[in-house]
Parts: sequence; C-alpha cells; structure tokens
Amino acid sequence: MEDNRFTFVQVDDSLSEHIAAPKYSYWGSVFRKFFSSKVAIAMLVISGFVVLMSIVQPMFSNYDPMIAPNVNNHSMWFIGPSLEYLFGTDNIGNSLFDAVWSGTRNSLFISIVATIITTTIGTIVGLFWGFSKRFDAIMIEIYNIIANIPTTLIAMIMVYALGGGIWQLIFAVCVTSWVGTAYFIRVQVMIIRDREYNMASRCLGTPITKIVFNNVLPYLISVIMTSVSRDVPAFISYEVFLSYLGVGLGYGKASLGKLISNYSPYMTSSPYLFWIPLSISAILSVSLYIVGQKLADASDPKTHMN
Amino acid sequence: MENREKIIEVKNLEVTFQLGGKKTLTAVKNVSFDIYKGETLSLVGESGSGKTTIGRAIIRLNETTDGEILFKGKKINGKIDKETKKDVVRNIQMIFQDPASSLNERATIDYCISEGLYNFHLYEDEEDRERKVSQALADVGLLEEHKSRYPHEFSGGQRQRVGIARAMIMEPQFIVADEPISALDVSIRAQVLNLMKKFQRERGLTYLFIAHDLSVVRHISDRIAVIHKGTIVEMAETEELFNNPLHPYTISLLSAVPMPDPEIEKNKVLIKYDGSEHDYSVDKPDFVEITPGHFVHANQKELEEYRKQLGI
Repeated sequence: MEDNRFTFVQVDDSLSEHIAAPKYSYWGSVFRKFFSSKVAIAMLVISGFVVLMSIVQPMFSNYDPMIAPNVNNHSMWFIGPSLEYLFGTDNIGNSLFDAVWSGTRNSLFISIVATIITTTIGTIVGLFWGFSKRFDAIMIEIYNIIANIPTTLIAMIMVYALGGGIWQLIFAVCVTSWVGTAYFIRVQVMIIRDREYNMASRCLGTPITKIVFNNVLPYLISVIMTSVSRDVPAFISYEVFLSYLGVGLGYGKASLGKLISNYSPYMTSSPYLFWIPLSISAILSVSLYIVGQKLADASDPKTHMN
Repeated sequence: MENREKIIEVKNLEVTFQLGGKKTLTAVKNVSFDIYKGETLSLVGESGSGKTTIGRAIIRLNETTDGEILFKGKKINGKIDKETKKDVVRNIQMIFQDPASSLNERATIDYCISEGLYNFHLYEDEEDRERKVSQALADVGLLEEHKSRYPHEFSGGQRQRVGIARAMIMEPQFIVADEPISALDVSIRAQVLNLMKKFQRERGLTYLFIAHDLSVVRHISDRIAVIHKGTIVEMAETEELFNNPLHPYTISLLSAVPMPDPEIEKNKVLIKYDGSEHDYSVDKPDFVEITPGHFVHANQKELEEYRKQLGI
C-alpha cells in the first residue's frame, strides 16, 4: 500500500475531558433519593395528615379546655366513639376529637420551636467549639456540669419558677438541650476539621469563619438532619412526660401530654380517652422520626451515586 | 551557583509536635537548605521521615519550634504581621497529595478555583473573575463547562489539575508540591508532571517537590535532598547524587529503585541501612559541603573516607 492513502487524524483532547453524566444538583438528588423510598412517602403522608389536622381542625372547633357547656349534662359524658363524636366525649362532656387536635397543635408547636432553637444554638456553638481549643476547654466544663444534672430536674424547677405557659415550657426544655446538640456537632467538626481540603483553604488564605460556614457546615447537613429527626419526637415525648408529672402547661391550654395525664384515671372505665391521645402522640413521633431519618440519609451525598 | 537568587532559605529548622500531655515528637531537626529561583528541589525519603512536615512548615500549616524560614530574605515562620502573612499566601502555594480529599466536595469547581481570588479580591468585577477562572481551567486542559460541576464528578487526574489550577490562579512564585502524583493512576502521572513543567517554563516557578519515587524525582528535579528521620543526610544536583552517592542511606535508597529489566532485577542486591554504620558518640556529625553543591551529613572520620572515595 502507498503512504499517500493514509492521512493523519487530529485528536481533540477536549473530547476526553467531557463529562457525559447529567449535571449534578445536590438538593435535586436529595429529593430524588427521599422519594425513592416507599416507607418515607407513607410516613410523610401520615405525619403530613396529622400535622395538617392539628393546624386546620382547631380553627373550626375553637376548642378551649376551660369552656365546658355540657359539664352538668350527664348524658353527654363518656359517649364512646361514634359518627357524631368521632373520638367520643370526655368526663365533662367535651368532644375528644376537638381536644386531641388542639392538644396536638400545642404539642407540635412546642416541639418544633424547641427543636429550631436547640438546633440553631447547638450548631453554631458546636461549630466554633470544634474549631477553637481555648473555647473547647471552657465548653467541655460547662458540658460536664450540665450533662451531670438531670435534665428533668432543671426543666421542673424552671417551670415552677417561670409558670406554666407555652413559651415558659419551651424555655425550660431549651435551656439545657442545646448543649447536647453542640457537643454532638463538636465531635463531627473535629472529624472533618483537619481534612486536606480545609488545609487547602487555609493555604489560599480563607479565614476560619469562612472555612466553618463554607467547608464544614455543608458536610454537616445530614448530621444536623439526624439530630433534628431525633429532637422533634423527643420533645413531643418530653412534653407528654412533663405534663404527665404535672409540670407541663398550665390550665387553659390543651396538649397531648395534658390530655393523657387528665384521662389516665379513666384508663379502665373509658379506655379510648387514654389510648386515642397516646396513639396520636406515638403515630406522630414515629412518623416524624422516620421521615427525618430518611431525609438525613437522602441528604448524605454518599447515597446519591446509585 | 552562589550568585543565583535564593527564594527560600531554611535555617536550622526544627518542628516538634505535642503528643498530648508532656510527650513530644521531633519530626524535623536541624534542617538547613536553600532553594534557588526557578529550580526544582526534590525532597526524598521514606514515609514518616518529615518531608511533608518541612513542606507544611514553609507554607505555615505546621508551626515551627526552632530555626528560621526566609522567603526572599524575609522571615515567614513563627509570629509575623498580617502583611507578610498575606504575602506568603499570595506567593507560596501548595499542591496536595490526594486529589480526592483536597477539594471541597460540596462546592462547585468554579468556587474551588475562585476561593483564593475571593479571599484577596484579586479581580475587578464578576466578569473579570469568570474570565480568570476560565483561563485557569484552560491552562490545565479542562473545559469551560466544568465550572458548574462538583469535584466527585471528575477523575483523579482531572481533580489534581483542578488543584493545580486553584494554586496557579494566585500567580505564586513558589510552589510546594506534596507528592502530587502519588495518588494518581500511572497512566496520567506524566500528564500532571508535564503540566507542572510547562508552568515552570512559562512562569519561572520554583518548586519544592516532595516525593519518594526516585525515578520521577530524577526526571523532574534540578537538585535532590535526601532526608532520613527528620535530618537531611545528603543534598546534591540530580546527576551528581545519582552518580556519586556518599551517605549510606542514599546508597541504600538508590539500590531500591526498580529497574525495568528482569535480568538486573534478578541479580539486584538490596543494601540495608539502619544507622548502625555511624559512630557519633565522640565525633559529632555536621552537614558539610564536600564538593561544590554536594552536601553530606557526616563526621570528620566519615568525611575523610568520602573524600578518598571521590578522589580528592
């Protein structure tokens, strides 16, 4: 064969550099991953329904535990669940259906606000706690002191001292809870603080504050989500627990804990009065916890590759 | 040699790490060397010998406990003022060993490369910044479309080139390359090395190249310093070191270089070094320039032997 039948082929190097995969988007992948789980969707629907009911239903019922029009009307007491009274009526003739959703609303409000406060303070303190050695020395002592005093004791004293309103209760549970979150975040920060990419940022002159928020915080999203998914149900249960002990909300406010506490004497005579609020509390806790866990899993980019 | 401009001078450097409580570890002791403008000085030694510690001390990632590091005659270790710190960051950059962990996985390539520009506001406006980033990407053979991608979408070689682009955009004069190709696939090592060489030619860069692969070191460096247990035992120009190794550790290191020839490999005798050859109880060793440009760590008795060996 003759040479002139061949020609040189030009190689375009840039072609081999091209990435064929579709563009990666972090939040897009988080939602795709989350909605790929049937359990997650089911739990989201359940918790969504409970949350929606607790927001909408009290708007129509205007339930107030201090108003009891049927308190002297014996025929209205202890009516079992029926079409007219879906959850039945209680010992003073009020509809349990109204009471439960109004109570759920307050319980949910307390737990969500307490979680937001705990997570925000805990995360910010934890980020700097993990970075600064001097701050660490002080904070570890504060942590040791607070961790060794029973939280319930602090909350009870707070409620006694401040009185039993919603905001007082939120303050009482948040005053110590942020320390636990901060410690949790501190440990996570220490794990990723000395990774090479943070050193690279230091070499490029990035100030510590910017490293904290640009390099470390994004890595903690799934860890923070885990903490949130634990905190929301924990605060619901905690409110139930405190109210059951009689140090929760004061008179004039319903909450799941107060309902369970008020109706516990009728556990044998009218069991539905006790079990319905308890079930709602359990359903809410479990579904929110699973939704949170699934969201935490989905927000970890390691799960996005498959 | 003597009249060449020194860009980095390291004098009696010592780096000690606190190991919790009163325990300390001296990773580097009494290390002195100069780096001349435009050259590549390689630092070779086994794992844990203190190569990386020296590199990180120069770029201020590790605190020094004793000695001085000068950049263009100005002290840059220990407590220095803000201006000098800024100067160090602008002029000294680092290429990291592991491209998988040295990029922020949650940031786009655009941010990764612009990070230094943002910190010192090294751009006129947004358009200028984008132009600079595109240029930096093009310089390392990456594409404009990569800007909005995340590091985990890239191959190891591409990531390392992003790491190089990130350092180069600062227009540094001196670069510490900490085993920049050790974590890469053999097939793309040459690509990254050639890229580094290209930048050196075009911009007159100076490198401190940290490595343990002697064949790579021979290819890239002008001078080589051999380090053993935190002390530089021998330093010379590349060919001088390969032809006339003096210190027993250097000889042992060179004997371990694999040869792509089964016949040679079969008959190869590895020379072991454990430090028992030296008797430093009375006659203390020093870092001496035995022939111009060739330094060796030895005591008087050993120096006599080395001189005899070299025929002077």
